[in-house]
Amino acid sequence: MRYSFYPGCSMEGAAVPYLKSFEAVADVLYMGLEEIPDWNCCGATVASGVIGDYPAQVLAARNLALAEPKRFDIVVPCSSCYMNLALTNKKFQDDKHFRAMVKEALRAGGLKYRGTLKVRQIVEVLINDVGIDKIRAAVRKPLAGLRVAGYVGCQTPRVFPWQFDDPEQPVFMDRIIEALGATPVKFPMKARCCGSSHSLTKPEITTGSGYNIISCALEDGAQVIVTPCPMCQMNLDAYQGMIKQHHQLKTEMPVLFLTQLMAIAFDLPPAAWALKYNIVSPFEALAPYGVKP
Amino acid sequence: MTEPLKYKTEFAEEIYALENGPYIKKCMQCGMCDVSCATRNEMDFSPRELFMLLRTGKREDFFKANTMWMCSTCLMCKVRCPRGIPLVDVMHDLKSHAIRLGYTDPPQASFYQAFWQEILGRGRVFEGGLMARYYLKRGWSEIRKGFEMRDLGMKMVMHSRIPIKPPKAIRGLKGMRAIIERAQELTQKEGR
Amino acid sequence: MSKKIGVYICSGCGIGDALDMNALAKVATKEYKVPVCKNDAFLCGRDGVEIIKKDIGDEGVNCVVVAGCSGRVNYDVFDFGPSVVVERVNLRERVAWTQEPGDEDTQAMAEDYLRMTLAKFKNLELPEPFIGEDLSKKILVVGGGLTGMTSALEAAKAGYEVLLVEKEDTLGGWLRKSYKIIPLKAPYTEPEDPGLAGRVKEIESNPRIKVYTGATIEKTSGAPGMFDVVIRQAGGTVSERVGAVVLATGAVPYDPARLEHLGYGSSPNVITQAQMEELSSRGQITRPSDGKAVQKVVFVQCAGSRDRDHLPYCSAACCVESIKQALYVKAKNPEASVYVFYKDIRSSGQYEHLYKKAQTEGVIFVKADITGVTDDGGNLTVEAQDLLMGSPTMADEVDLVVLANGMVPTTAIEDPALAEAARAEAEAAPAKEGQEAPPATEASMVIRSNILNLEYRQGPELPSLKYGFPDSHFICFPYETRRTGIYAAGSVRRPMDMAQAVEDAAGAALKAIQCVEMTARGMAVHPRSGDLSYPDFQMSRCTQCKRCTEECPFGAINEDAKANPLPNPTRCRRCGTCMGACPERIISFKNYSVPMIGNMLKAIEVPEEDEEKPRILIFACENDAIPALDMAGINRLKYSKWVRVIPVRCLGSLNLIWVNDAMSRGIDGVLLMGCKHGDDYQCHFMKGSELAGVRLSKVSETLDRLGLESERVTMTEVSIMDYDKIPKIIGDFAEKLDKLGPNPMKGF
Repeated sequence: MRYSFYPGCSMEGAAVPYLKSFEAVADVLYMGLEEIPDWNCCGATVASGVIGDYPAQVLAARNLALAEPKRFDIVVPCSSCYMNLALTNKKFQDDKHFRAMVKEALRAGGLKYRGTLKVRQIVEVLINDVGIDKIRAAVRKPLAGLRVAGYVGCQTPRVFPWQFDDPEQPVFMDRIIEALGATPVKFPMKARCCGSSHSLTKPEITTGSGYNIISCALEDGAQVIVTPCPMCQMNLDAYQGMIKQHHQLKTEMPVLFLTQLMAIAFDLPPAAWALKYNIVSPFEALAPYGVKP
Repeated sequence: MTEPLKYKTEFAEEIYALENGPYIKKCMQCGMCDVSCATRNEMDFSPRELFMLLRTGKREDFFKANTMWMCSTCLMCKVRCPRGIPLVDVMHDLKSHAIRLGYTDPPQASFYQAFWQEILGRGRVFEGGLMARYYLKRGWSEIRKGFEMRDLGMKMVMHSRIPIKPPKAIRGLKGMRAIIERAQELTQKEGR
Repeated sequence: MSKKIGVYICSGCGIGDALDMNALAKVATKEYKVPVCKNDAFLCGRDGVEIIKKDIGDEGVNCVVVAGCSGRVNYDVFDFGPSVVVERVNLRERVAWTQEPGDEDTQAMAEDYLRMTLAKFKNLELPEPFIGEDLSKKILVVGGGLTGMTSALEAAKAGYEVLLVEKEDTLGGWLRKSYKIIPLKAPYTEPEDPGLAGRVKEIESNPRIKVYTGATIEKTSGAPGMFDVVIRQAGGTVSERVGAVVLATGAVPYDPARLEHLGYGSSPNVITQAQMEELSSRGQITRPSDGKAVQKVVFVQCAGSRDRDHLPYCSAACCVESIKQALYVKAKNPEASVYVFYKDIRSSGQYEHLYKKAQTEGVIFVKADITGVTDDGGNLTVEAQDLLMGSPTMADEVDLVVLANGMVPTTAIEDPALAEAARAEAEAAPAKEGQEAPPATEASMVIRSNILNLEYRQGPELPSLKYGFPDSHFICFPYETRRTGIYAAGSVRRPMDMAQAVEDAAGAALKAIQCVEMTARGMAVHPRSGDLSYPDFQMSRCTQCKRCTEECPFGAINEDAKANPLPNPTRCRRCGTCMGACPERIISFKNYSVPMIGNMLKAIEVPEEDEEKPRILIFACENDAIPALDMAGINRLKYSKWVRVIPVRCLGSLNLIWVNDAMSRGIDGVLLMGCKHGDDYQCHFMKGSELAGVRLSKVSETLDRLGLESERVTMTEVSIMDYDKIPKIIGDFAEKLDKLGPNPMKGF
């Protein structure tokens, strides 16, 4: 299994622990990752709001063009990056007029895309390509008794509704949590918006959403939240201090990337856990599994 | 008594001409977007109501509404709309159209522009750079507000979540800019 | 018929574990001296059925009693041809699955059920089918519009002769008056050509269809298979015999003169949908006032419909029709402004596509209540309250306002001359002494609309339930009217659009075909399809009380001048309502009669008072209550062990003598389980359960007079979905009886 890998801007900054743990986990699961050379920002949720959908999608398409020579599926960890790359790719494949327009724009930069690639979400690849059995087989330290709220986030399951899961109450990540030996809690807010795009301009939206999401996980008895989305992780983890300032949060809630929890269950070296980057300490909740600072 | 509303088409036609504009015509005012929206409570008008402002020709109210700026792109309305209106994409159009027309008062407009400059500047987004550009645009009042977030920033730095140095610009930055320019030209040619 | 009874008791499905099979067999062999009685562990299996077949062949058994599962299952397995009577004793759903196994009261219940069935045979005969004389399989279609033409073609394609009668001089109905019609095929976005010429040609070239245009039905007499129809055409009349009738006379627009509040009449530029069709077919759409090409058009939805002061119902087709007409305006002049003021857009089915198409073409939809339409020298102003914006709204300088004025079924249009004649006749006839006036409700439900002119004792047209639409069991058999063999289709049946009318036309044609075929075999149509029995009147004892002729829900019984009932077996649906009505008990079916049920209830063993084992008799309707009781068993719900159930064809067939008999036998209470009645009735025979209620109210007085508490006889509504409520319904009744104490007639 070889993939073109699109890390996205956040993995160079706030989501460093995601990058580190994912690379380690991918290695164990024999996923070969080849970073797309000289990739650029996908445009996030923002570029199209400034320059419009089509130019923003051309921006995303540049990455597809750079990846095409390798002919591997592109695996994307960040939900926003996945949304932009996958929607652009789909539109490129379905819409003749759009295809011609994108081709023409790419030509201005000396690039060419033929539309041969697939853009894949990381959790979906773990389930459909690697498979639950293989993940379960890689577990060396089952997380028995650990109650986990699987926070998929808003965009991942909704880019292509029903393509791999329910767009409002997805369960696919819970299957990985189960494979790690842990117990997924019900957590009905698993795909609600965390308010990420307002984290700088109107942080009270972000902290309000974060409060609701963490409270819901707490109510359902979760000890940790895991997520595959860099923005979700940052808003629940880094902003938790602010959430506590403004709301009555009962207790602290560690927020891990899914791949961090996998690295722990696979019993990889602590460097692969990359827990030093986590702002809310996960060590108390994970102590029974030999996780120490 | 309130002056009776009149349904007008001129302003509506302007918006229908945007990339995702034609979809708006299919809105049947069911209100599914209202009840699905994560940030509805922050909005002056729900998407459904915004479309009514459009149909009744209330141009100023329309562009001054914070609806499009409050959209967080969570996709719930797009998934649920029974008429298949890609509301999120419509909001993108409305934002860029508003910026083009100079309706840039909302802080989100500054944030969007800062983000875009960051992309154009190095091909990737560096959080430190983004913040600097944003606060520069907003001026003192916003910087003071940003000051309240210093704890958060400190923690991020302590946990090595913000790189000290910005990443280098991508090698193909020039090519990327050329691509975008060409795309923008093509957009204009299409009359959107 | 000389009867030889064979009883076959099945011990499968848990029956053997719950009951003493030998004791049960003794009831048959010792008490009833049944010559053949056998047990089997798997009676519905091949070997089990072989046992029965062998006895029929070798022993001459012709009355087979299968004691095992419910008669609602395995009826095909236990069918031994038309010359063998099969009776089922439900020991499974009604005993083994609802009662304590091995209990003596469970055993008593099973034995009683066997006795009751065996007691039936005394008065039970094999039904001989009624075959009418000179039967016709021709189908008469009344109305030559889209529905009628489609129905005629469908019936003809199925191989049946068809008479198509249209009152106008040419076929077509609304198709003829339409510029275009709503799309009938995918993608449902473009109005279509009405295609009238093609349809007419297809009809004219079909040798099985005979068309009468400019014709009306002067008289319809007879019954299914034997309707004699007098058709008036061009001053003369023709008589035809037909087997069944499809009524496809459609609807007419609601009278716009009553829509003054929407500007109709005060401005020539306020028009109806029908006028809009005419205007559109002339080329450019122009204002009636001055011929100026229209630039701004407003459609006003629910003009009369969904309005308590006008038509309380939704006319179902007008939203789609207006959307279609809005598209006419846009197609002829894309620059024109088109507004649709609506309450709710009800573009059901595929017409959401048409709605979207209109939106994409720029038609503006405004959810609003109209407050006024005014005319200023040809320019109209429409004012309204906008329900989405919560504010007044208006459209001014409007050239044309089109009112979507809804539809009224032709059956609801009274023919003034006929109505007047009927009133005069009623006044002239001196009220006969001592004779009850016919129930007012029945008479008022038949509107003199001059369509079929039926020679029926209950009135010349179809009975309606609401708003003048023909009454039918809306959920289960919508095309069936309350006149057997006459099937309503299209907008005369309920408001509908053209696509639905096409579907309806085919449905009603098939029902008409079913009817002529069943009638030719002497069988009943829905809901007792295939039933060969029919009521027999012992005329020598008739007192001409008219109850049967008045109460038959299907108007099956005519009257002669001396008020003697004249039955029409092919009109009969075999519900037995006449049998329940007859005070002299002279009406009976070969396999269902007053004495037969009387014998059944007399077969119930009623213990002495000191044994403290009460008995509750349930008369349960076969259509809903019996399935509900079966489902209670299937779900293993437990209920009182004192219950004995007698299935009836309909509660309408319940003769009060049975209640008297039960009471005098010392049975502690009688519970009647029937279908819901009223406006949203569920009764499969429309009026049966309602009539049972009326009759029961009379029994209460008698019981009170006898010093018996009237609560001992109670009626309850049970729908097929109420199976989970069965234990509570029975439990509550048992508790009430317990409070009343034992029936004082016990032991007399």
